[in-house]
Amino acid sequence: MERRSKENHILFLLIVGLAGWLVPGGGHFLLKRERQAVIIFATILLTFCAGLYIGSIGVVDPVGSWPWYVAQIMNSPLVAVLGHVTAGGGYPVYGRPNEIGQIYTSIAGLLNLLCIVNAIYLANLRGTEQGEG
Amino acid sequence: MWVEGIFVTATFTAPQEIGVNPQSMLWLLPLVAAISVVYKATKLPKITAGVFLKEVGALFGSIVVFILVTALVLYAMAWLITE
Repeated sequence: MERRSKENHILFLLIVGLAGWLVPGGGHFLLKRERQAVIIFATILLTFCAGLYIGSIGVVDPVGSWPWYVAQIMNSPLVAVLGHVTAGGGYPVYGRPNEIGQIYTSIAGLLNLLCIVNAIYLANLRGTEQGEG
Repeated sequence: MWVEGIFVTATFTAPQEIGVNPQSMLWLLPLVAAISVVYKATKLPKITAGVFLKEVGALFGSIVVFILVTALVLYAMAWLITE
């Protein structure tokens, strides 16, 4: 019985993490922290879109700049669709717009990673409190 | 509506023109704001507009001040080395 409860708890943590990755703020939304979820969603989406606007979708480049791409894909798996579109090199971008665009989109991804970790931590904390209570 | 949508999409397929000049450093400010907002959203247990804005403003200010101090120290070091 206890093992089953532990498995459910781990599954819940996975769902929270996955929700936070699918939609920024999704993990917090599942934990009924709607205000945090809305703030996280709006800020990360705006930062990511600002990066795309400054440097064009060419800044998402899984072939030429894959270390940046690793951080960018933390925004959402939907970034992989953009990566698929730009992988052919049809959207070249150089210089300062490329730098700023990559920094904005990658920082947005890393911020979402922070939110995912925070949501999992909060979910774990809640589960532990319920287990003790 | 369709035409507007195409124009909006098109702006994301070509990069903006940003020169390599001191003014381009101001692009860090929106990024610092985003970092401050998201960080404080994860740290505050309960969010109310007043407290949240105050906390975000304090973090934003401290990051910008730290960057300015670092820039000044680096500038002074470069000046001392090259003079």
